[in-house]
Amino acid sequence: MMKIHCYERNFCVSSCSLVPKPLPPRMETHFWYILPDEVKSSSLLNQYLDLLSPCEKENVFRMQGDQLKKRAILARALVRTTIARYQINSQVSPRSLKFRKNIHGKPEVEWQLDEDWRPPPLHFNISHTSSLIACGVTVDSLIGIDVEEKQRTIKNNILSFAQRYFSRHEVELLTSIPDTEVQRQEFIKLWTLKEAYVKALGRGFSGAPFKTFTIRYGAAISGNFNSEASEIVVESSDDPTNLTSNWEFTLLELAGSHYAAICTEKDNACEGKGNVPRKLTVWKTIPFVEDECVSGTGAVVIIGGLTESEVIT
Amino acid sequence: MSSIMLNGKLGGFFKGGRRLGQSDPMSPYTFISSLDITRIFSLKSVSISNKKSLSLRLWPLQSRFRVHCAAKPDTVEKVCKIVRKQLALPEDSSVTGESKFVALGADSLDTFEIVMALEEEFGISVEEESAQSITTVQDAADLIEKLVEKNGA
Repeated sequence: MMKIHCYERNFCVSSCSLVPKPLPPRMETHFWYILPDEVKSSSLLNQYLDLLSPCEKENVFRMQGDQLKKRAILARALVRTTIARYQINSQVSPRSLKFRKNIHGKPEVEWQLDEDWRPPPLHFNISHTSSLIACGVTVDSLIGIDVEEKQRTIKNNILSFAQRYFSRHEVELLTSIPDTEVQRQEFIKLWTLKEAYVKALGRGFSGAPFKTFTIRYGAAISGNFNSEASEIVVESSDDPTNLTSNWEFTLLELAGSHYAAICTEKDNACEGKGNVPRKLTVWKTIPFVEDECVSGTGAVVIIGGLTESEVIT
Repeated sequence: MSSIMLNGKLGGFFKGGRRLGQSDPMSPYTFISSLDITRIFSLKSVSISNKKSLSLRLWPLQSRFRVHCAAKPDTVEKVCKIVRKQLALPEDSSVTGESKFVALGADSLDTFEIVMALEEEFGISVEEESAQSITTVQDAADLIEKLVEKNGA
């Protein structure tokens, strides 16, 4: 069991409450992230732990080692505090939220239904690495996100791994990259995009095995990896002419240290109007302590997808 | 259902209340287990006839008290080794059949790598659907043995 020591410095929840936010409009994504290294206070971590359900707490204590326990607490605290910010109704607080999994295991909010009240069509998805935990939120659109450390290496040979799991086109792309470092970076980017897509679909890995779809993006098509961000598309391997056009992607470089991929459903109402760039707002947060809107700063660099960074002051 | 070995031979079965996780307190589980085990002792007439009182000693899970499930210990051991290597776990960290990948810090990329390493080690091919259902080392070992058997058939 992790021993949580309380230091003298106490954070009072009442004086440092969550800054409320309006729900993102359709065609906008809110992206919140926390850096575990910035949470140093054990009493703050205890406050986060206190927000969790008994089941979530049990899962935390099953994690092996203090670092993994901390990560698990922060992930659940991030989801709960993020959703609670949107002030869905007066009953919703970080602690009161209930979650369940859909039949494929994708987490979703279990709203406490009332006669007079219909829950908002809020969607969320989380992802974590040891050094960054993120939560994406949309309204009326499925969302999947994935974050990976830019420096991440894999134990297997990249091309062997790609041959096992990726589509033929993706393997060809990776094989064509002569520089091993660039190849590794492109691999990580592809991985995050593929993972974000599968998570957005919400049907589990068997619902969309990695080999059965190809992610293409501008750099990949032109072969110039320094080119500006351009559209990212997914196509089904079974039918390459059929661009799975319901989905749009954003690829970011986050905090200088991570790649983040966001996959969301396109708004059907916008079909035929050309590609309307999706708006994205990114916050770095330490719930109850501080929120910082980092869109438009160096902390958020859009490297793929037609997305506009929305700065909210 | 779990089995119990007595002096190296199958002694009987007892129903575990729930799967024993990494940090679960042992005492309630061993209390219930000890009742069942006592029943097994009495049914099997293990040589305690000269003793007036029965004292039961349960060894820690990793040594004498072995709960056998479907896969051979050898397979479980190999899986543990691969998992340790993939996750770069410190020498003293505990990895057993009951270990959940997620609890050891594996994310989906790690899991894909582990599956690939297992495929290479055992000469099998794991479908996405099966890979998805693997949550513990034991699950992986059981699946491996199933696939190896199928290959051999």
